[in-house]
Amino acid sequence: MTQIPANGRPSTAQARSTMLDMAVRPLTVALAGQPNVGKSTIFNMLTGLNQHVGNWPGKTVEQKTGQYRHNEVLVNLVDLPGTYSLTANSDEERIAREYIIHQQPDVVVAVVNAAVLERSLYLLAELLALPATVVLALNMVDVAVQEGVQIEPHVLEAALGIPVVPMSAAKAQGVRRLAEVVDALAHGQISYQPDVPTIRADHRAILETIQDAIEAHVPHPYHPSWVALKLLEGDNEVTQMMQTHLPPERWQRVHHILRQHEDAILDIAGARYEWIQRMMRAAVVRPRAGQVTVTERLDRIATHPVWGMGVLLIVLGVVFWLTYTLGAPLQEWLDAALIHAAAEWLRTALAGATGWLSSLLVDGVLAGAGLMVTFLPILVIFFTALAILEDTGYMARAAYVMDRFMHVMGLHGKSFLPLCLGFGCNVPAVMGTRIIESRRARLLTIFLAPLVPCTARMSVIAVLAPIFFGAQALLVTWGLLALNLITLAVLGIGMHRFLLKGEQVAFIMELPLYHVPNARTIAISVWQNLVAFLRKAGTVILAMAVVIWALSSFPGPDIAHSVVGYVGQALAPLGRLMGLEWPMIVALLTSFVAKENTIPTLGIIYGTGEHGQALSQVLSGALTPASALALLAVQMLFVPCVGTVAAIRQESGSWRWTALSVGLLLFVSLLVGIVIYQGARLLGWGV
Amino acid sequence: MLKQLLKHIAEGGTWTTESLAQALNTTPELVTAMLEDLTRRGYLKAVGDACSGACASCSLAGHCVASNAGRDTSKRAWTLNSQSTL
Repeated sequence: MTQIPANGRPSTAQARSTMLDMAVRPLTVALAGQPNVGKSTIFNMLTGLNQHVGNWPGKTVEQKTGQYRHNEVLVNLVDLPGTYSLTANSDEERIAREYIIHQQPDVVVAVVNAAVLERSLYLLAELLALPATVVLALNMVDVAVQEGVQIEPHVLEAALGIPVVPMSAAKAQGVRRLAEVVDALAHGQISYQPDVPTIRADHRAILETIQDAIEAHVPHPYHPSWVALKLLEGDNEVTQMMQTHLPPERWQRVHHILRQHEDAILDIAGARYEWIQRMMRAAVVRPRAGQVTVTERLDRIATHPVWGMGVLLIVLGVVFWLTYTLGAPLQEWLDAALIHAAAEWLRTALAGATGWLSSLLVDGVLAGAGLMVTFLPILVIFFTALAILEDTGYMARAAYVMDRFMHVMGLHGKSFLPLCLGFGCNVPAVMGTRIIESRRARLLTIFLAPLVPCTARMSVIAVLAPIFFGAQALLVTWGLLALNLITLAVLGIGMHRFLLKGEQVAFIMELPLYHVPNARTIAISVWQNLVAFLRKAGTVILAMAVVIWALSSFPGPDIAHSVVGYVGQALAPLGRLMGLEWPMIVALLTSFVAKENTIPTLGIIYGTGEHGQALSQVLSGALTPASALALLAVQMLFVPCVGTVAAIRQESGSWRWTALSVGLLLFVSLLVGIVIYQGARLLGWGV
Repeated sequence: MLKQLLKHIAEGGTWTTESLAQALNTTPELVTAMLEDLTRRGYLKAVGDACSGACASCSLAGHCVASNAGRDTSKRAWTLNSQSTL
């Protein structure tokens, strides 16, 4: 390993020799740094009102210049655009490096965020390769201290070989010291011997060969060593410049070498990260006690391949148990106390009105959309549990464990990321398949997405499972979830084994630290989710309830002689194979508009409020365990909602694929319903 | 170091910044810095861009790791860019 010479940079001796000259002429200082490291704050603190804002010549990037005086010396301060590196990927990076190379400021102040020093030091590594005298402004040290990061500025200074000024510009701390150090450095009063990042030995020789080949042709004021390095890094702008300046024959030779070493870019950048690691190890201690240790300890279990899955199952079990134990009785109470009472009141109040109006409001709006309001306790518990899991930081672990589990099942590749989104809603799951480049893989993932049980389907199960199965609801819910995941896994494994062989794609996640949940954050999250639900209940579900009421009321006189009745009775033979009466089939059909519609439809058809019975009491007596199991299984696997179907059409760009997807899910759900009912009957659950 | 990181990622599977840091004998913070760098260079891409907008109707959008990528700095995820080669 060797050092890349920082040629062109004035040595300490040279700097001292120009000291007298410098004492009388103004200094030029440039502020460099990543975005959001407090560069502008430092600029404002130093220049006050003596600043000018314009644009960099020929660019739309803002240019800020200003002046201040220190020890009677006028300092022209230039705020360079915020950049992560100096590799000419953007206008900002081009401006920053061209300014330093062409204008050669007396000092460059590299502003870094002390709390995330690893991210900030890369730019410093690049600055040190330029012919510039650099001072490190270690900003936000107060934030670093708050986060438990201990930095030894003197050790860092010794390791870097350049002056380091700890500061907190937002609190006006360290700004005066920075001005002093800049002045002293410009006048050669401070030792300046930077430790510059090195590159690997195998590329060192190549670098020297390139440097020799271009040396005589590098235009002023560029330095051959920097140009050679940038060529090896594949910098487009420098490559074009040298192609113009080198004789064609020489360029061909250089170009040939560069093509043979295209991988050097990663080695050069990688060496800079090794340099950063060395500096960090020398001068920075990150907290190893308290929060981090708790996180590490918990993650040993929560992200473990086996125990992590166990923890996830227990956590989900507790969420469902809480939902059923606390939510279901509240829902029943609201159903009886609110909906029933409101229905009675409406019937009395509308006694003199036309019959259809009373029926519309009581049997349609109240029994349908009004019933949805009684779900609020269940949803409050469900969303609160999710918000707590999220705010503690566990949700990211759950996603990590699920992702690994899906890998184990054989669902390799990018397809499982959109599938994970499906647990929230199938629409983004289908839309999320855009990250898959291969059209075949994308279509097959679109095919699988509706099999992931979304929250809408889960909330229907959360209401119906305790009605039908009482204390056994938790076990039934587990079984239904397992059924969906097994169906998905069987299709997924088959798909990836036979159609998407060998596709291996990585997924990297940043896991947040565990936190004590914040009540306000949780309350806001629950509120936002409830408002979204109520908005849906007040629009799509209300409209659907009115439509279902109309279709179940006309032509009449009773539901058996309505449009819904005729459709349901036509499908009755199919329903009988699953032990389901025709109203259940109609309820399943209306879930095509929105999954939640199953419940208001049942409410309208079974007439909530009549004979003083709540819907739960009516339904619990309407189905045998075998039929109820079949109904819930079909509900879980049934044709996706219209929003998802529209997303499938949009993403697949094909009506044929859309029809095939809907058809397959219809077939699979009915087949599973029939198998479950017939199997359960054989087990004696048909009574 | 950057090359080693990409090699680990290219093996496939699910990684956290902690597990990658352990594999490279470095800190998760430095791994994050390198992941951001590889993203800027086009080797990786941040997950979640594709589903922005599609999550509007999702009740779990606020809790989703993927859809929050890039918006919430405490929850970020990346995947290998198919164009990237070692």
